[in-house]
Amino acid sequence: MKEQVFAAVLAISAVAAPARADEAFVANQTGDDLTIVELSTMTPLATIPIGGKPAGVAVSRDGSRVYVTSPEGHFLSVIDAAARRVAKKIETGGGPLGVAVSPDGSRVYVADMYGGGLIEVDPATEATRRVEIGAMPAGVAATPDGKTLVVAARDDNALVVLDAKSLVRLARIPVGRHPYGVTIDAEGGRVYSANVESDDVSVVDLAERRLVANVPVGSHPYSVALAKGRVFAANQYAESVSVFDARSLKPLATIKVGEYPESVAASRDGAVIYVVNWFSNELWSLDAATLKISAKAATGDGPRAFGAFIRAVN
Amino acid sequence: MSFVAPRRAFIVAALSLIPALALAHGPSRQKVVEKIEIDAPPAKVWAIVGNFGDMGWLPGVAKTEATGGNTPDQGKRKLTLVDGGTIDETLTKYDASAMSLSYRIEHVDVKVLPVNNYSSTITVTPGEGGKSTVEWKGAFYRGFMNNDPPPELSDEAALKAVTDIYKAGLAALKAKAEAK
Repeated sequence: MKEQVFAAVLAISAVAAPARADEAFVANQTGDDLTIVELSTMTPLATIPIGGKPAGVAVSRDGSRVYVTSPEGHFLSVIDAAARRVAKKIETGGGPLGVAVSPDGSRVYVADMYGGGLIEVDPATEATRRVEIGAMPAGVAATPDGKTLVVAARDDNALVVLDAKSLVRLARIPVGRHPYGVTIDAEGGRVYSANVESDDVSVVDLAERRLVANVPVGSHPYSVALAKGRVFAANQYAESVSVFDARSLKPLATIKVGEYPESVAASRDGAVIYVVNWFSNELWSLDAATLKISAKAATGDGPRAFGAFIRAVN
Repeated sequence: MSFVAPRRAFIVAALSLIPALALAHGPSRQKVVEKIEIDAPPAKVWAIVGNFGDMGWLPGVAKTEATGGNTPDQGKRKLTLVDGGTIDETLTKYDASAMSLSYRIEHVDVKVLPVNNYSSTITVTPGEGGKSTVEWKGAFYRGFMNNDPPPELSDEAALKAVTDIYKAGLAALKAKAEAK
């Protein structure tokens, strides 16, 4: 009996003090702040005031910095992730929305939705460069080697491919209607766009710069996550996550989630998919293998967390 | 670094593009949730709100013209308001067992209702003692589709317009359902 109690206490303490688990940085647009959620227990750890109706999130590869866009405040917040505080704010003008970080952490790429451009920011010096993209740039992603950028030109129904060093435009690839979130696979081979108005996900071959297929998903998909050779799309109006096989492009499942899901991201090891539900103010986790919902956590009001919002804690 | 332009130049460039972006929506989606308790059985309340083709219970609606019944994506209705304005809506979800339906506005002049990309859900749930609770929730963008909206097309104006409709609608629904 005594031993059992002792074992139980050990088990509880192991749960309560996880070994440096990963974290989600969830920007709450209505609440004007950001919730940090510890992911092994799905427990909110801290709330950081942001302002300017924050929407886009990008975590640096080393996990030290988190970048958050505020489209109505017209600035980019640089967050010291370990200290859980805003280190500085960098004015961008326009309507900063989608955001991505170069793999080496030296550059941050911000889509200026109203200005129609992409702004490259050096977060150390705050120096900026700008390149024109098209109508309503939304999501941004960098290839794992950092050499190539992909931007969704939402109202042009196209993805724009750029050379990251020169910011020279390499290609403009027509996709479905109103591409929003863009996600590049770990090999840098394919990019996926969630197309809000055509209710599909475009699969694009980056090397060949051509559209492979438009795969039907649910109503109003906003973003895409990749794990276990599967593609996960968050469907805002359908309130579901569509899953299809990345190779065969055949549908695997439709999973009911919270209200108005917008952003999805995968854990580092690809075991878990995290879904941010904008209307119901929740972060949900689902098992990428079994496709079952595993846990839920409360966020602030109106969570967007548009982008790569999972922080790997090493 | 000749690429490095002053920040002010970005803002000027952004402003000059605004007229070309008239079809875009604002940056921040808004939400409204209103609830009311009704002293009537859920089935009686659902019989009123569950008929997508008749929005007559909502104050200010003079006429509903509908096609496609309660079938998602086929059910369409045109609301003509007392003041002459019209709203075109499509049924997007319908679950009679859960007593819940969802719809979106396909077309409305921002002078009639200052919102964009509006979608909504009405759900009836059983309460205690045979009563009902009705929840009406909406998600939408403001009427002005870019930075710096005029006051009548701001986030606040959109929130007030939708909140006022939900409050008045739920009060009228309660009166109608509770009438003997």
